[in-house]
Amino acid sequence: MEPMISVNSSPMECSSSLSTTAPIWQDILAQAMTGELLAAMNYASLSEICDDPAEVADALEHAQGERGHGAAFAAEGRKIGVDVTNNVDAKHWKRLREAFLRCIAERDFIACLIVQEIMLESFAVASYSRVGKVAPGSLGKTFARIAAEEEDHVDHAMSILRAERAHDAQSFDDKVYRLHLDVMTTLAQMLAKECKDGHCEVCHHTCVKPSLFDVSLSAAELRGASLQQYLKTLDMLGLPGEVTLAWVTQLPV
Amino acid sequence: MGHTAAGVASPGQSAALDFALIGHQESWRAAADVIAVLRGPERTPIPDDEIKDILPWIPPRTVCHVEIGSMIGTKARGLYIDSFIPPDRLEPAYVHENIARVRKAAACAINAGAKIISLGGFSSILIEGNFDQLPEKHDTVFTTGNTLTVAFIVQGIVRMCALEGRDLEKSTLLIVGATGDVGSGCARCLAPIVKRVLLTARNVDRLRRLATELESDGVEVETATDLQKFSAEADVVICAASLASPSLLLGRITSDAIVCDAGYPKNLSPSADMPDAKVFFGGLGQVTGGMRFTPDFHGVLNRHPFPDVVHGCLLEGMALALERRFEPFSQGRGFITLERVQEIETIAARHGIYLAPLYNANGPVEDALHLPDGMVERMSA
Repeated sequence: MEPMISVNSSPMECSSSLSTTAPIWQDILAQAMTGELLAAMNYASLSEICDDPAEVADALEHAQGERGHGAAFAAEGRKIGVDVTNNVDAKHWKRLREAFLRCIAERDFIACLIVQEIMLESFAVASYSRVGKVAPGSLGKTFARIAAEEEDHVDHAMSILRAERAHDAQSFDDKVYRLHLDVMTTLAQMLAKECKDGHCEVCHHTCVKPSLFDVSLSAAELRGASLQQYLKTLDMLGLPGEVTLAWVTQLPV
Repeated sequence: MGHTAAGVASPGQSAALDFALIGHQESWRAAADVIAVLRGPERTPIPDDEIKDILPWIPPRTVCHVEIGSMIGTKARGLYIDSFIPPDRLEPAYVHENIARVRKAAACAINAGAKIISLGGFSSILIEGNFDQLPEKHDTVFTTGNTLTVAFIVQGIVRMCALEGRDLEKSTLLIVGATGDVGSGCARCLAPIVKRVLLTARNVDRLRRLATELESDGVEVETATDLQKFSAEADVVICAASLASPSLLLGRITSDAIVCDAGYPKNLSPSADMPDAKVFFGGLGQVTGGMRFTPDFHGVLNRHPFPDVVHGCLLEGMALALERRFEPFSQGRGFITLERVQEIETIAARHGIYLAPLYNANGPVEDALHLPDGMVERMSA
């Protein structure tokens, strides 16, 4: 698969602690970079259905920002001497992109925001924050910085989505649920403790999940933090907690 | 009832909310059962190891709506909010995390417009004496529910003695966890009617203060921080210690002692060797005017061998809501008196909330024949 960004990695000297865990960070970076490039593609698509020039500019700016995040992850890979590739056509990521494109096809701006800002960004903010806490040096700082920037996106979208929900809460909640079934089911499969349906097509060799313990992470922790962030974001939107609790407990594990 | 997305039934948002119950699950089995109900029967249950991974990440939130009926025909509507404190994280090491969870659960209840909030299980122990740590309350009041818990413990002791043909006036009463709010409340209610009182707890100063208070009423009281010093002397025991797990061993207890385990989680260790002791779980009441959970958590949130049985601490808020007395009936530690106990049990009884039939880990120790007159018929109806 052709990466969207060609990364000319030139292995550099890295600390001994990172050299042993570099393949793990390589896979973590590859997943993060793929997510950022998918987000960039989503915002670019969103710009095409916006009527308001300010919204178009906003979406394009976000797309540029996400590409910058992808480049930052690639740069972090170079610092530890690994080549960070990406694959937006990997099976899970492809399904997420297709779900977003269905919203685009329906010219449903609100649905696009729900998928990108509420679902995908919850996953990004939570998992980057966790990685940022344990990753050494500039690698950790980059993850933490990008997590904070992604959180700013969410804040911006929240005001639009709250206003939409205030208009018709029932229709809004029904829409969120429909998108939840589509998008969060895929995200839950990605976040499962084990990849039960084969290779994810992003990790370089075998699945990185069992090795996460070596860098003080775990698949269960990343899943838990992501779902918690998702629930908290839905709470902030005003969806009933008992309803969203049922949604999350019904996801595949 | 309206239906929101995902087919989860939920009463209309605009309807007034009377009470909220804040609780947590006392075992992983109980937690798994709650998740299984939410997940629905058509989906494969989540494996136990996955439950342990997922539950700690769930933010405190409403689990279901609760409606309770009174024998005088009124109804009260409320919410059950779970703080999702993991059952294996009740130890002191997690106290700050757990207080934060209770605060968040309280915030859910306040935002939902609950007029009175009952704090169940460890929620009240965490907040007992720290009510200033709860969120700004607006028009919402909190009650620990401990007064009705004490009422049902005392009633249970009296009933068990009657069932066993014991004379309570000739008994030596041992209270484990005597300086807690529930333990000291039980001491004040039962000390005047037993022959001798033995109090154990960890805090010597509090033990001395309670003993002095009881002695001033002419009661014979002894105290100890070492439970084993007393266990062989008591023939009636109330276990009301704040233990993170069932780990209490009473030691050389009188062989046919009456033992009330009033803890949540339970106090008594499953390995406690007391083959002839008459053990029952205390502090439980039964609703006879009807109780409905939406979604249906009957037998899951209230896992008892009899229907509509609920812990006294939660029932207190429901009883006060039915009485339209939205007041902080139980707060702080050490303020439960016999008069207050009698007042809350009168309120509860007026609405058909009575002592639950007694049972223990092996099942019922009495049957429905011991229920108040007409109660079986009302419950069947």
